[in-house]
Amino acid sequence: MIKKSPKIQTNEGGTDKMVRISTHVIERPDSTYPVINTPYKLDMSQFTGKQVTRKTLRITNVSDEKLDIKLVDYPSDYFTVDLPGSVKAGETVEGEVVLVENAIQKSFEKSFTFELSDEQHSRFTIPVKRTVRNITGGIGTKTSGNKGK
Amino acid sequence: MSKYLTVITVLLLLLLVAVNGVMAAPRLLIKESSFDFGYAPQNSKVSHKFWLYSTGDDTLKILKVVPG
Repeated sequence: MIKKSPKIQTNEGGTDKMVRISTHVIERPDSTYPVINTPYKLDMSQFTGKQVTRKTLRITNVSDEKLDIKLVDYPSDYFTVDLPGSVKAGETVEGEVVLVENAIQKSFEKSFTFELSDEQHSRFTIPVKRTVRNITGGIGTKTSGNKGK
Repeated sequence: MSKYLTVITVLLLLLLVAVNGVMAAPRLLIKESSFDFGYAPQNSKVSHKFWLYSTGDDTLKILKVVPG
């Protein structure tokens, strides 16, 4: 488990305040328990005029119990996350990430976190990356210029 | 006698103003100070927003954030 505690120095005086973050880094995201997320990170990049505003996430329950799914954190100024409330044992459900209007022109690297109802209250964080290039130029703008050379 | 009362009242008022001045202080409140990302894939960036509340009666200045 990785833990980090950045300190915040203010003019308040006294001891510095700190926030704490922690995570379990998974090396094999295709074999997690009690769920497997596919894809384990979402790429919403857009390199052509064709808009990419939503992506689907599949959550497969590999345990033998029904699991409730609760969204615990997401950056609402970038996207919304729609997850089903539960997934039955052995089944797969789909969730969806949808960009908000103000984020369509932006490149970013954010994430969202959901929690399961298993005994450990397992949490999973799904990174969401978006790189935006050439939104108005359309596909082929660059290559068409090279063809005549 | 009334002169003394007036002087004492004025002194008390001055003391109150002085005490208020001393008491005015910035204050930082972090309601949620920890966050667990749970499982996250290797070589990826994850993010979480912490809210810092200025609850004192003077301006709170964030001087530095030290990674740790």
